[in-house]
Amino acid sequence: MKELAELTITSDAPGAKLFMLGNEAIARGAIEAGVQVVAAYPGTPSSEITNTLVSVAKETGMYAEWSVNEKVAMEVAMAASVSGLRAMAAMKHVGVNVAHDPLTTAGYMGARGGLVLVSADDPGQWSSQNEQDNRYIARQCYIPVLEPSSVQEAKDMLVDAFRLSEEFKHIFMLRSVTRLSHARSDVVLGAINKEKREGEFVKDLHSLVCLPAYSRGSRRRMIERFAKIKGAVNDLPYNQLKLNKGAKLGIIACGISYGYTLEAIRYMGLEDKVSLLKIGTPYPLPEEMVRQLLSSVSEVLVVEELEPFVEDQVKIVAEDAGIIIKIHGKDVIPIAGELSTRPVAEAISGLTGAQPPVNFAELDRIREETEPLLPFRPPTLCAGCPHRASLHAINVACRRWKREYGTECVLVSDIGCYALGVFEPLNADDIAVCMGGGFGIATGLAQVIKAPVVGHLGDSTFFHSGIPPMINAVFHQANVTLVILDNSTTGMTGFQPHPGAPAGDEPKIMPEDVARACGVKFVEVVDPFDLTKTVDALERAIRYKGPAVVITRRMCSILEQREKRRQGVAIVPYHVDPEKCDGCGVCINLLGCPAIIKDDDRVTIDSSQCPGCGLCAQVCPHKAIISGVKDGKD
Amino acid sequence: MAKTKELNVIICGVGGQGVVLMSELLGNAAVRDDIEVKGSEVLGMAQRGGSVFSNIRLGSGVYAPLTPEGKCDVLVAVEPSEALRNVHFLAKSSLVVLNSRDVKPFTVFLGKSGYPSLEEILDKLHRVTDRVITLDATQLAQEAGSVQSANVVMLGTLYGTGLMPITVETAKAVLQGRFKGKVGEINIRAFDLGYEEVQKALKGAPVK
Ligand SMILES: Cc1ncc(C[n+]2csc(CCOP(=O)(O)OP(=O)(O)O)c2C)c(N)n1
Repeated sequence: MKELAELTITSDAPGAKLFMLGNEAIARGAIEAGVQVVAAYPGTPSSEITNTLVSVAKETGMYAEWSVNEKVAMEVAMAASVSGLRAMAAMKHVGVNVAHDPLTTAGYMGARGGLVLVSADDPGQWSSQNEQDNRYIARQCYIPVLEPSSVQEAKDMLVDAFRLSEEFKHIFMLRSVTRLSHARSDVVLGAINKEKREGEFVKDLHSLVCLPAYSRGSRRRMIERFAKIKGAVNDLPYNQLKLNKGAKLGIIACGISYGYTLEAIRYMGLEDKVSLLKIGTPYPLPEEMVRQLLSSVSEVLVVEELEPFVEDQVKIVAEDAGIIIKIHGKDVIPIAGELSTRPVAEAISGLTGAQPPVNFAELDRIREETEPLLPFRPPTLCAGCPHRASLHAINVACRRWKREYGTECVLVSDIGCYALGVFEPLNADDIAVCMGGGFGIATGLAQVIKAPVVGHLGDSTFFHSGIPPMINAVFHQANVTLVILDNSTTGMTGFQPHPGAPAGDEPKIMPEDVARACGVKFVEVVDPFDLTKTVDALERAIRYKGPAVVITRRMCSILEQREKRRQGVAIVPYHVDPEKCDGCGVCINLLGCPAIIKDDDRVTIDSSQCPGCGLCAQVCPHKAIISGVKDGKD
Repeated sequence: MAKTKELNVIICGVGGQGVVLMSELLGNAAVRDDIEVKGSEVLGMAQRGGSVFSNIRLGSGVYAPLTPEGKCDVLVAVEPSEALRNVHFLAKSSLVVLNSRDVKPFTVFLGKSGYPSLEEILDKLHRVTDRVITLDATQLAQEAGSVQSANVVMLGTLYGTGLMPITVETAKAVLQGRFKGKVGEINIRAFDLGYEEVQKALKGAPVK
């Protein structure tokens, strides 16, 4: 064992090794590059980048902010770059959609201080509503893309991205994916650039004012800059060509897929039998290297996750060079979901006849046999989560409406912890699309259907993209109920602050003040753990003609428990009185709280999980659920 | 840096069991012992009571952060049914260490899902490998001083297999670096109990 001094992410210890999460490595890259401004909006799998940088901002003299949404984050970073500082924006793939407008013109403006966007894509849709491939967005915006194949490379590339951005005076994108952002690895640290620049705005109408008269010229200059970058990528160390004499098959592997490809080749003993081109810049492609590979083999396989982004370009290079060989890609490599070593090995096996390293058919058989035994374990709202109370209250109010008028309310949900309410037993989600959609889709539905429409979203989402659709509902007098589930944090992504719940003593912006100022006449704030009052407010909101806003406010239960522990306040769980409980299961069937356990017909509460919200006690028809730990009776 | 043989470790369990912490402790220990380490986990939606999967790959020549199917050397299941969810990573030579204490999801209480018996779980695992060690890590954690330390008991079992290229001293030093005072003592006890339990099961002989 080596005696290591305690290294941290800010240690200026070139050559030392640290075990890091991919996103921490990206954060470290920003520190090494001397980035002075970071702006981001959280989103899995990108959040830990900015979590890390916010936590060391003071120490490193960096300005790091959680912006109100990704568009603003992008603009904050662009402003810093314009002022000569190195600046980075970080977001998940769908966040780039929100930033798309300024991003599309960022290339026209060029960069003064290095400007890098980190896009964290989510192949496999581990925690996203879609599986979009942001390399296409980059291409549309003339933004060169660096795509790391390992955690080490993620850090190194990010540092280099800033050098390149300043060399070519152009914005760059680092594209990560879940399996990289959430990978862990030993990382060799580099030196920290300690230069601190003073932000300075220099007027330059031709580059900075994107009105048609100026921006036509900007577009031409952008195209010229991009051509220079295209010429330079062949020399970047992230693109590597290994030609093997006599190899029939050439493999082109991009980003994270490179590791799977290397291992498939190693397991199959083909190291000397195939030629391999590693791609670190899928856009612009190192065309010279591609041509070299194409002209030395008789067949090519392109290995990349998601869309045939590199594959299509390789086909164009082949066509332009007049090289006629078969180019495989998405015909043998899956287009949907994450890759792993297996599909790559199977594709190579199919093309070369080499034996795959494992009998996959046998594995599939065992897996198939096992599948029926697996318990269904969906992620669920935490014990004590106030969203469970809000969603249950919405369900009760809608059931009462149905009893009276016969129509079923439509529940529009959004992306946040409350989206977990889609599962049994809450079933509180009929449609959910994107952030802000909880209000936008609800407002649209209200214009075209007779049934009452109840939309809901969280407080962070409200500030991110819920305000314009609320204004739209007022503007067009939509007959809609808009519920803000206010847990005073951005829960889903790990408790980032937002304008309604700032981290320090910044002024709090209250959603009810915003709603009233926007002209909503029905605005009520309730505590969701007061079930009777909450249901009453919701019933009145649903009956109200015109837009009605109900805010259910209660701190996220994880944060509340943390706060109580910090203050030394006791957490008092509930328990079931076995004399009164007849095992009817109403609590379980209505709420599905993970702290309520049923063995045979006996219902108990796991006191180690129960934070004592008391919601189950309010729904129990036998009044059998009581506050306090059981007095040793059980 | 010393060259070490590839060793693929998968740790699985459910949200809240401390699976991710186990892989952090493992990785930090590897770096201290100068052993190359890669890995990945599924965060995000998988937290909040869902299934959690983490894999740590040790040794020279490993590049990808994900263990290939059929290439897992040791599967550590902090929850028994979760071992089954990862059965496709196993091979005939794999070693499985299983905490027998189940965590039933609420869907079982809702009547929307079944839950396999320990016999069913072991039966399926035995179709792939007969090297399965079962223990009640939660009980041992209680003996150590806190049920919260069941994950550290399972970490101890991993070292007890004798397969780890990382030394036990390093593993404990990293553990002590992370947990100070009384919690640190409990965790060292938990580690030792897990270690001894597996050594007993293997009758003191490291698995080949
Ligand atoms: C455009 C976009 N940005 C970010 C995300 C990631 N994300 C999902 S939900 C969420 C915010 C959740 O916060 P809030 O609305 O307050 O609900 P909570 O999770 O606290 O209940 C974020 C940032 C996303 N899905 N889409």
